[in-house]
Amino acid sequence: MTEEQIWKRLTSVFHDVFGDSDITIGPETTANDIDEWDSLSNIQLLVAIEKAFAGVKFNTGEVANMRNVGEMVSLISQRAR
Amino acid sequence: MSPAKIKQLAAEGRHSEALAELLVQARATTDYSSYLSFCRLLPRVVDAAPEDTHRQDRLRIAVLGGATTDFLKAPLDLELLAIGKPSTIFFANYNSFVSEMLDGTSPSVTFRPNVGVVLLTPYNIADWPAVADSAERVDSLVDRTVSHWLGLCASFHAHTNCEIVLSNLHLLQTRAAGSLGAKLAWDPNSYLREINRTLARKAPAYVHILDIDTLSTIYGISNWVDPRFWYHAKQPVSFACTVPYARNLAAMIGALFGQTAKCLVLDLDNTLWGGVVGDDGVAGLKIGQGDAEGEAFKAFQEYILLLKKRGLLLAVCSKNDEVNALQPFAELPDMVLRRDDFVSFKANWDPKPGNIEQIARELNIGLDSLVFVDDNPAERELVRRSLPQVKVVELSNDPADYPRLLDQSGWLEVVKLTEEDTKKTDQYLQNMQRSATQAQHGDYESYLASLEQRAVLRSFEPQHLDRITQLINKTNQFNLTTRRLSRSEVEAMINREDVVTAYVRLIDRFGDNGLISVLIGHVDGDTLIVDIWLMSCRVLKRGVERLLANHLFERAREMDLRAVRGVYIPTAKNKMVENHFADFGFARTATGEDGTTYWEAPVKAYRPEPVQISVSMSTDDVV
Repeated sequence: MTEEQIWKRLTSVFHDVFGDSDITIGPETTANDIDEWDSLSNIQLLVAIEKAFAGVKFNTGEVANMRNVGEMVSLISQRAR
Repeated sequence: MSPAKIKQLAAEGRHSEALAELLVQARATTDYSSYLSFCRLLPRVVDAAPEDTHRQDRLRIAVLGGATTDFLKAPLDLELLAIGKPSTIFFANYNSFVSEMLDGTSPSVTFRPNVGVVLLTPYNIADWPAVADSAERVDSLVDRTVSHWLGLCASFHAHTNCEIVLSNLHLLQTRAAGSLGAKLAWDPNSYLREINRTLARKAPAYVHILDIDTLSTIYGISNWVDPRFWYHAKQPVSFACTVPYARNLAAMIGALFGQTAKCLVLDLDNTLWGGVVGDDGVAGLKIGQGDAEGEAFKAFQEYILLLKKRGLLLAVCSKNDEVNALQPFAELPDMVLRRDDFVSFKANWDPKPGNIEQIARELNIGLDSLVFVDDNPAERELVRRSLPQVKVVELSNDPADYPRLLDQSGWLEVVKLTEEDTKKTDQYLQNMQRSATQAQHGDYESYLASLEQRAVLRSFEPQHLDRITQLINKTNQFNLTTRRLSRSEVEAMINREDVVTAYVRLIDRFGDNGLISVLIGHVDGDTLIVDIWLMSCRVLKRGVERLLANHLFERAREMDLRAVRGVYIPTAKNKMVENHFADFGFARTATGEDGTTYWEAPVKAYRPEPVQISVSMSTDDVV
């Protein structure tokens, strides 16, 4: 999977989870940048990503410590089949 | 229909259509992400709708938990709306349930809930057995844990008088002693099982157990929990299983407040048996041993028979020539269901919605208490569009799935089974014999005389509280005020001097109709005010109305009161009693803006109505 494909699919996951198709994301995007991104929707987001990218599973430490979308993408690109 | 289309409907001002569509779509989806997108859409559709004209008060629900409950907010809202119980829900702070339930001034108490929901997980257990603890020691730990939780429930109930839904516990994914654990009292899963059993045994009438133990087993405990999110956010159930969790909880709350199914309306071809009887002939049908699909259909019939035995009525609605439709029941030995298991049998070529309406009319029950089961998606869609009140079960194309899909629909939840429930079908069949007798008699009074009716008429008694509460919460048509009460509220009326209560049980030569009418009034100065007067429609116009009117004025006279006052509060379903008080000589004193009418009659002027029922005030000499 190319980096570009990952960004494209990830963006659509964000649109689905937050119900807003105007959201744009980049490597530096954090929860502070998106109003609806709270602790509950964070879990929903991670579950939706695991579903959208076969082979991706975040471990407990990653769930707790992921800092921005850039880190997400690098984990996805390591694991996505 | 996509969320965008629903949004558009709402924007065009077609709110009720948008809402109905949203609820159907959300309940049909199996994917959590799309379910969530419907949840997010819900406030937009509801907030845009004009003020709710429904007169029924919203339920007030307090959710307390030993875990995060935020995840339930949106799904529970949606599921409660879908079963017709819009509610105001208060979510207490994370893991605050102990203080919320003990403290009489806590936010959950001052919220004044009708229902308290207490959600627990194995993490909330303080005391676990040590390895090799004796069975006696384990028992004492079980008792301590259960007493602690039920004690909290008792305290919360004392503060609020609300019904309580208490979850039991799912098992763990680990087995330190392997399979041997099943034999060891101290094994954590053995301990959890014992706690669940003891909770069920010791829960008082106001505590209703949400059976998470069985539910999580059905879905698989490894699917039910996602430990990552427990450690991260104290999330007690995985997202995939949030929907069944919320759906079961909502169904239980609905059932507590009268939203229960009364009749299953079943298709025949490819629903109860494999094949089409009109085309394949009786010999070509798949039902019973010797054929894989036939066994699956038989298992479905067995499940349906169990539902019938616990109180659901069964009806057939099939596109068939009646003579063909009846043949399998008469000729195939492997059919589990028999013709006389059904109280109504519609096999014809008319559209199903009309047939279904006729079934509801025949049985005198509301459309919203019917559950429709049909393998044909086109028929399901037609019924959903034409009769939105009817609950329609989504089936797959595999009969092996049918029992599970019907079971998990959430439409069949029940909080109490009374003796009346288990005799339901008999009672309806007897009613049909009565109608036949009436046809022979032509003259109504001589028909009533031929019924040889006897009744028990008494004030409320503890042994009848379940049935009385059930009637109060599910009677919609012959119901003057449609006021709902919890069992505890009904119980509190027994032996109060300023409250008049009465129930009627009616027996005739065809059988026992059971406890079928309830009246509650209270004294205010020199008048007796009727708060609740309701009756099951299956004994309509048999004289029980008059019997209770006579009794009402008799009681008022005994208490030396001047007048009896009544109120009729109109709903979508109780038009049949709008002139009830006028029929008994009450004069209308006022009419509210919402159509509510107020009535009064002087006690002295009342002339008792003739009644063809011999009445007993004791329970013994009638049975």
